[in-house]
Amino acid sequence: MNKNESVVRLTNVTKTYFMGKVEVEALRGITIQIPVKRFNVIIGPSGSGKTTLLNLLGCIDFPSSGQMEVCGQEVARMNDKQASDFRAENIGFIFQNFNLVPVLSAYENVEYPLLLMKKPAAERKQLTLKMLDAVGLSKHQNHRPNELSGGQRQRVAIARALVKGPKLVLADEPTANLDSKTGKSIIDLMYAMQSENHTTFIFSSHDKQVMEYSEKVFEIRDGLLVKEKEN
Amino acid sequence: MKTLNIAFRNIFRNSRRSLMTILAIGVSAVAIHLFGGYVAQVIYGMQTDFVRDNGHLHIYQKGFFDFGAGNPVAYGISRYLELIQMITHDPQLKDHVLIATPIIKLFGIAGNFQKDVSKTFFGIGYVPSEFKKMWQWNDYNMPSRASRKNRVALSDSDIEGGIIGEGMARMLLLCDQLNIKNCVDEIPEKTIAPIDETEDFNYLAEPSASNTNLEKIDQRPKLDLLAATAGGAPNIVSLYVNNAEIQAVKAMDDSYVAMNVSLAQRLLYGKGEKKTTGIIVQLKHTKDIPWVKARLKQLFAENKLDLEIKDYTQIVPMYRQTISFLFAVFSFIAAIMGMIVLFTIINTMTMNVMERVNEIGTIRALGLRRSGILWQFIAEGFVLGILGATFGSIASVIIAMGINASGISYIPPNYVDPVPLTIVIFQNPFLMPVCWTIFVLLSVGSSIFPARKAGKMVIVDALRHV
Repeated sequence: MNKNESVVRLTNVTKTYFMGKVEVEALRGITIQIPVKRFNVIIGPSGSGKTTLLNLLGCIDFPSSGQMEVCGQEVARMNDKQASDFRAENIGFIFQNFNLVPVLSAYENVEYPLLLMKKPAAERKQLTLKMLDAVGLSKHQNHRPNELSGGQRQRVAIARALVKGPKLVLADEPTANLDSKTGKSIIDLMYAMQSENHTTFIFSSHDKQVMEYSEKVFEIRDGLLVKEKEN
Repeated sequence: MKTLNIAFRNIFRNSRRSLMTILAIGVSAVAIHLFGGYVAQVIYGMQTDFVRDNGHLHIYQKGFFDFGAGNPVAYGISRYLELIQMITHDPQLKDHVLIATPIIKLFGIAGNFQKDVSKTFFGIGYVPSEFKKMWQWNDYNMPSRASRKNRVALSDSDIEGGIIGEGMARMLLLCDQLNIKNCVDEIPEKTIAPIDETEDFNYLAEPSASNTNLEKIDQRPKLDLLAATAGGAPNIVSLYVNNAEIQAVKAMDDSYVAMNVSLAQRLLYGKGEKKTTGIIVQLKHTKDIPWVKARLKQLFAENKLDLEIKDYTQIVPMYRQTISFLFAVFSFIAAIMGMIVLFTIINTMTMNVMERVNEIGTIRALGLRRSGILWQFIAEGFVLGILGATFGSIASVIIAMGINASGISYIPPNYVDPVPLTIVIFQNPFLMPVCWTIFVLLSVGSSIFPARKAGKMVIVDALRHV
């Protein structure tokens, strides 16, 4: 894929779900193309559909209607097994609450996606150590998440998302639970990692710092794409 | 391997809950092992006692088992010594057979005419030295019972000696003479007019010259035993009572007379051919019964002998009944323990799933399949099962050793003397491995339901879970 191609193509995608007996239309026919190997941000007020859109892009949820192509594959009709394998291969996640596995050390958390891809032990070790070094946590590789600070945990999460060389990294408000200084360092790190690995990053964020770094901004309101802007 | 490693760590996240679960599995395993060990002790103990007293196999004239009790004379085995010789010298049997010895079972009337009392008796005649050897049988290394070791045996040379039941002794007014504890000779008031001397069978007991001599020198209490001979005529022999031994069943205790086989033959066959009503065969090992039975049948067919073979479970039906009863109780206890383990693990695993909803969502998002989640939680149930069953096994061995060393004894049903309470966990090689495996499988089975629930979680809902 060259830089002008799209990693994500959504055509008239809707997503409806129920909150109790109430039907909620989270996405109302959204059409979007997200360019490859860029730092993209999806912004919008609470309840606008940002997280729903990211869930669809991450193939952890599926649209009610419309066409959806991620990393060159039609994903809307994938079954659970196909979607799992697709995520393991192509998508990295960075969560707002870090979501590290508490019983695993930093090293093991980063190694985990490689285990899912059934990479050989030697390769796993090499890639994991390299990624931990890249996020500056070599000395903390044996620490469990509860022995790390918030910033360190998010660094581990970034390393975990990138270690398998995914085509797409999705980050749902990655700095929301961090102080501004730590948040900035995390954004710096992600930006550097994105530049180094030439991976496509898609954020959902309210954070102005994130928007400053972004190459393309998509604004969503009431389940519709209302603005698309190049930085 | 990684799955098991993660499972091991996960179950100790909430160490208190996991330890309680392991304890529940362990205690259930201990209950089953100890009760199973006790059941094994009862079964092996009963078998040992039956085999010591009755051997493994009885050979009878065809029909004796069903009808012989009413007419033992009619079912006598002729030339039985040749038959015993044939069994003990058969090249295929001799390595499996320990003892083959005659036994005579008979009924009659025993009288203590010094006290003018008499009573019906059930008698057995055997070769004392061979019965003594039979008592040595201990294929399962069961602890010896003091009363058996100290048992007063008859001797081959004391042809007229005998042993009677304590009840029999009481009724024949021999308590004082035999020094029986808690037994006093009470002469009952006569309610029936004395029988005319000429009608009393006592006149039949014409003392021989040798008997007259014995009476002079033998200070033991004397009983006169009356039975019908092969020809149908009444016959009487004198028996000198060595000792009274209490029998487990009152009816038996009130009528038991044990004597030398040659005295029984004299009573039953008079001066005719000496036969036996049965031959007891004691084997080296109980497991050889089917093979030996088959070989004996072959030998009897080859020699045109109309004989039947019964094993000890047929001779003593109580053995099978007791085993069935114990298995029913064991199964009931095992089922209850199994249910406890089942619900404990379901509860623990459900709590584990509920506490890790967000984590399940995360690893599913990272690409773990539903089956991966399923196996992760099943692995946790497996590890819990292994730890609980192993803990239970070790604890069972320690507790069983403690009980075995404590010297506690009890009197089981149909026994007259105390039996040491022992838990024979290792005697049955299958008890511990089978219990261990069942508990592990039960743990795995119990975790399937919560694991399926975890696997079916909707990822976005799981990630939203706080």
